[in-house]
This record gives sequence, C-alpha cells and structure tokens, in this order.
Amino acid sequence: MGSDTMPIRVIVVVLAAFLMASAMSLVTSRHHVRGLFADLEAAQQLGRQTEAEGNRLRIELGRAGQPAAIEAASRRLGMRPIDPDHTALLPPAARPAQP
Amino acid sequence: MKQSPQSSNPRTAARARKRRSGDAALGTANPLLQVRLPAWRSRMLLFGLFCGFVALAGRAFYLQGGLSTQFLQRQGEARYARTLDVAATRGTITDRNGVVLASSVPARGIWAIPDDVDAGKRDLAQLARLLEVPSGELRRRLAADDRSFVYLKRQVELGIAHQIESFNLAGIHTSREFRRLYPEGAITAQLLGFTDVEDRGQDGIELAFERTLAGRPGLRHLIKDRLGRAVEDDWVREPIEGRDIRLAIDNRIQYIAFSALRAAVEANQAQGGSIVVLDVESGEILALTNWPSFDPARRDRMEPQRLRNRAVTDTFEPGSTLKPFSIATALEAGVVTPDSPVQTAPGSIRIGGHTISDTSSHGVLTVEQVLAKSSNVGTAKIALQLPAQALWDTLTAVGFGQAPRAGLTGAVTGRLRPPESWRAIEQATIAYGYGVSVSLLQLARAYLVFARDGDIVPVSVMRAESPAAAVPVLRAQTAQAVRRMLELATSDEGTAPAARVSGYAVAGKTGTARKLRDGRYSDAYVASFVGFAPASEARVVIAVMIDEPHGGRYFGGDVAAPVFSQVAAGTLRALQVAPQARALALASTEAATDAR
Repeated sequence: MGSDTMPIRVIVVVLAAFLMASAMSLVTSRHHVRGLFADLEAAQQLGRQTEAEGNRLRIELGRAGQPAAIEAASRRLGMRPIDPDHTALLPPAARPAQP
Repeated sequence: MKQSPQSSNPRTAARARKRRSGDAALGTANPLLQVRLPAWRSRMLLFGLFCGFVALAGRAFYLQGGLSTQFLQRQGEARYARTLDVAATRGTITDRNGVVLASSVPARGIWAIPDDVDAGKRDLAQLARLLEVPSGELRRRLAADDRSFVYLKRQVELGIAHQIESFNLAGIHTSREFRRLYPEGAITAQLLGFTDVEDRGQDGIELAFERTLAGRPGLRHLIKDRLGRAVEDDWVREPIEGRDIRLAIDNRIQYIAFSALRAAVEANQAQGGSIVVLDVESGEILALTNWPSFDPARRDRMEPQRLRNRAVTDTFEPGSTLKPFSIATALEAGVVTPDSPVQTAPGSIRIGGHTISDTSSHGVLTVEQVLAKSSNVGTAKIALQLPAQALWDTLTAVGFGQAPRAGLTGAVTGRLRPPESWRAIEQATIAYGYGVSVSLLQLARAYLVFARDGDIVPVSVMRAESPAAAVPVLRAQTAQAVRRMLELATSDEGTAPAARVSGYAVAGKTGTARKLRDGRYSDAYVASFVGFAPASEARVVIAVMIDEPHGGRYFGGDVAAPVFSQVAAGTLRALQVAPQARALALASTEAATDAR
C-alpha cells in the first residue's frame, strides 16, 4: 500500500513545484510586461513632446523664412529689389561642338 | 473537598456578607429589580444576533465566494482604472511649398477653484504678471462666490504654464489644451480664418475644412499602479488625428500682394481693398488678400469689418472691367471685328431717356480702341447690336451670377438678372459693368478665359493634384483678339500705362465704378484693375480692387493699375518667369528717355 502511493505523491509534489514555478513565472512576466508598458508610455510621451517641439520649430522656421523678415534683413544689408536696369539677360551658353 | 474562598479569608468573607446585606436592602427598596424578565426575550435577542451574523456571513460568501464579482471589481477599478479622453491634434495648414501657415501646439488652460485658493498678495501679483492679466481683474475672478470653477486664462504657452505649475499654488490648476498659431499673421488672416478656444474652426479655411482638419478625439481605458504609472491600457476608441492640408497659396506671392495692397489703401486713403492672384494653367489661387486685416493672435482687437474676406464675400459693380466680355461676345457673334469703326462722338448717347457718356469725346474708334480707351458709348453701341441672351450666356459661362466653388466660406453669387427682364438701357449698362454685381474672385476667374485662349477652369484654394477640366467659352481667335486689345489698354494710348511691368508685356483692363448708396449712385468709387502677365503666354491673372479711394485720385488706371504692376513684377520674379527681351529693351529705352 505504501509503495503504491509513493509515485502519486512524487507526481503531486512535482506538479505542485511546477505550479509554483509557473505562478512565479506568471507574476514575473506580468511585472516585466508592466515595466515595459510603463517604458513604452514614457517613450510615447517623449515622442509626443518631440513632435510638438518639431511643430514649434517648423513654425519658428516659417517665421524666420517669412518674406517680410527676409526683406527687412535684406534692406539692413543695403540690398534692394531687382529692377530691369540692373538685370542682365544672358543667352543660353553655346554648347562646345562635339569632336 | 474544595475549600470555599469565603471561609479561607475572613476579611474577604466579611466584605461579601456586607455586599449581600446591601443588595438585600436595595432589593427590598426597588420592586422593579425584583421583576423576573421572560426567558423568550433573551432568546429573541440571541436569535436576532444570530440572524445578523448569518446575513453577514452570507454577504461575505456572496462577495468572496465568486457568486458576484461586479461589486468588488467596480470598487477595485475605481481605485486603479481611469478612462481618459485623448485629444486629436488638429491638422496643419501649409502653403503650396510646405511653409506652415497654421499649426496647433500644446498649451495649458489655467483654472481655479476660488474657495480653495489661498495665495498671498505677492503670489497673485506674480500670477497676474505671467498671465498678462491685471491684478485687480485676477482678484475679481477669484473672489466670485457664485462659482466653484473659473478659467483664469485659456491657451497659455507651455513655458509660462510650467512656471505657474512650479509655484504650487493651492486651488490653481492646469488642463491640457491646444493653441493655434498663424506665423503669417495678418497676411493670411481672412483666408485662413481662425479657431475658437476649443480649437474648432470658426471662419475661413479653418471652418471650410473643419472635418478634415479636426480629426476625432479618442477614449482610452487605463490601469495605473500604486505609483500612478500606466501599466495597462485598452482603447475604447482610437483617436483619428486631423489631416494636414496643402493650399494652393504661395506665401511669397501672398506677402507681395498684401504689402502692395496695404500701401495702396493707405496712400489713397481708401476704405479697403482686395487682391486675387490666380494660376492661369491650373486655376489655383496663388494669393488672396484683403486690407484692412487683423492679427489672429490678438482676438481682443478683432473687429467685424476686418474679419471679412472681401474678395470672396463682397460684391461691387465692376464697371469697365466687364467691357472685354461684351466685346468678346460681339466678336464671337460676328457683329464686329477688331477693326470695325464705332462712332463715339459727341461722347454721349441717349437710350430710353437715360444718357450714357464718356469722360471725353473720342470720335470714331475701332473696336480695339473702344476697349483701350474704355469708351462707354462705344461699348453700349456694340452691345446693343447683340441679342441680350448672347451677352448673358457669355457672362454666365465665365461664372458671373454663380458662387465660385473654390473651397472658401461665404462665397457670394453676385447679381446677374435673367436676360428676359433686360431693357435696352440695362443691356447697354450691363455691357460696361453697371447693373451687375460681382466679387473680385469671380472677376479674376472670368479673365482666365482671355489668358487661356477661350476656355475656363474652376478656381481652387487647394493645391491641385491633377489638371482641372477646362470648359470652352470662346473661340481661341476671339480670346487672342481681346488679349491684344487688353495689351493695348496698358500702352500709352490706353487707360492703364501704370500697369506695365518692366521686362514683361502685360494685358488688362481698368474699372472705375460709382458706388450705389441708398439706391442712387454716389461720389464714392471702386477702382479696379484685372489683368494677366506675361500677355502672350500668361502665367498669372491678377485682380486688384480698391474701395473708395479718397486721395484725390479714383480712376482704376491711377489707383489700382500701379498695384497690379507691383504685384505682377513680384509674382513673375517669384515664379522665375524669364523677362522678355523685347519688353526689357523697351523698358531700357524708356528709362534712358526719362533720364534725358
């Protein structure tokens, strides 16, 4: 009788060990997933901030490239608008004859 | 045998005897204490307590034993789960070259619970300075007893909001918002319109393309850990980001048009003005600007009359700028040729009791000269040879009397009555632009027919992905003939030599029309010029309208034509259209003559 129940006890112990290991693994992986999710959230937040900053910089770029700003800067540099008296029309350069 | 404790200690036994004798004395004194309670009462109490414990045990089993999980789950979720609205970012508006014209950036709304605010005078002064709100006004808002919530300022820049957050003032909070920025400011103000504090389009492109730009906010179910970090999420509804749109506008040409218009309106002490620049090939609107304008960043200074996109929403009697369509109809019908003589002496003509007159008597003119010199008498005489229906057909085919479907809000149809109701005098006056009203955008689009060899395309404020389908209106020869006449109008013999552009041949027509006030023509004028450049291979149509010039000059040739010249010169340069050698040589000769 004692020798018959021995393998079952061993199996129960082994299964119990597996169950414990599986439970620990589940808890560990859940913890890991949550940690990764928190990292992902932080990265996505950073992404959104970067995008917003990119938008802001594009607007800044637009402001810096405004024709009004360029014209004002050109005038400060002593430049003036183009007029026909200061325009030279050059004929298209003749291609050298092929040997 | 066990010994009684009473007998073991005589002192204790004496105390017990004394107590018993005292109790006996009380018992005899108070008969109530001698009443024996019925046994069922204590049993009933016991039973009640038992039922209570059974109910508690049953409830505990119900909740813990898995019979019902809803209650505890709900309670649990209330402690770690959140459902959040996720805002969709509004799309960006760019010009045809990708330059940002409108974009949303994150901002913060600053709000307060007045009862919770416990800030010192110094803190409040600092807060008022950061919010750019007078201290008194801030204190007044925080003192409002009838409110449990009050916004102190909406759409505050992030940097300033972070400074306010760093103060950690009790009762002052921030909320996430977006702020719409318009880098070009007043230059594109009426065209783009603006959004409200909730970032919803209210006018202009922002309103017309609201569905495209706005997107749809999402809903997100979030689980947080004890540190407040999100650990799991589930999208109830994913947000749909607003889509970007690319306009046909070229911000360089828009600036050129805006600055020339503002200078002209101010120099001529006019009420206002508008300019429209169209691409001849595609019908795209390269520039559309008005003055007076407004700064979208200063909402407190917005005035209703500055908000109107006049080029689209306002109509006016076009005057002589309509003459080319009458002449073209006559040429198309074979009633006249460009060289046909027309007697315009003595400079006036009576039709049905009304007199039509020119500014001076020109005598016999060719049809070409009628247009170049802008003779009302000559145009009326030519138009009266036409059936009314033919003139109406041409005016309708080029878009008068219908709102242009350009993708702009508030586009008006103008006024063009059916030809059956025209009397002779009306047919004559409509031929030179009275008795009909148009918007500047309609007028600019109509001139595409001359710039494009007789066909017309729809106008669009959006960047065209494919070539627009052209609708033929006139024969190519007719359009070319009118084009030559319009080029002549910008010569020294014409009414608009001021429209000429150095280096390029241009074509166009002036308009000077009296304004109707209370049903009568007044002394106020609308000066206009519509033309295209270069004349032979037109790239752009430019329409200029100056409303009520008061600077001593009011003719279209004096007021609007120079603006056309400036805008055309800048536009052709921006589009890198090579100057024409013939026109350059002419310009150099003129410059040399002027120098002498």
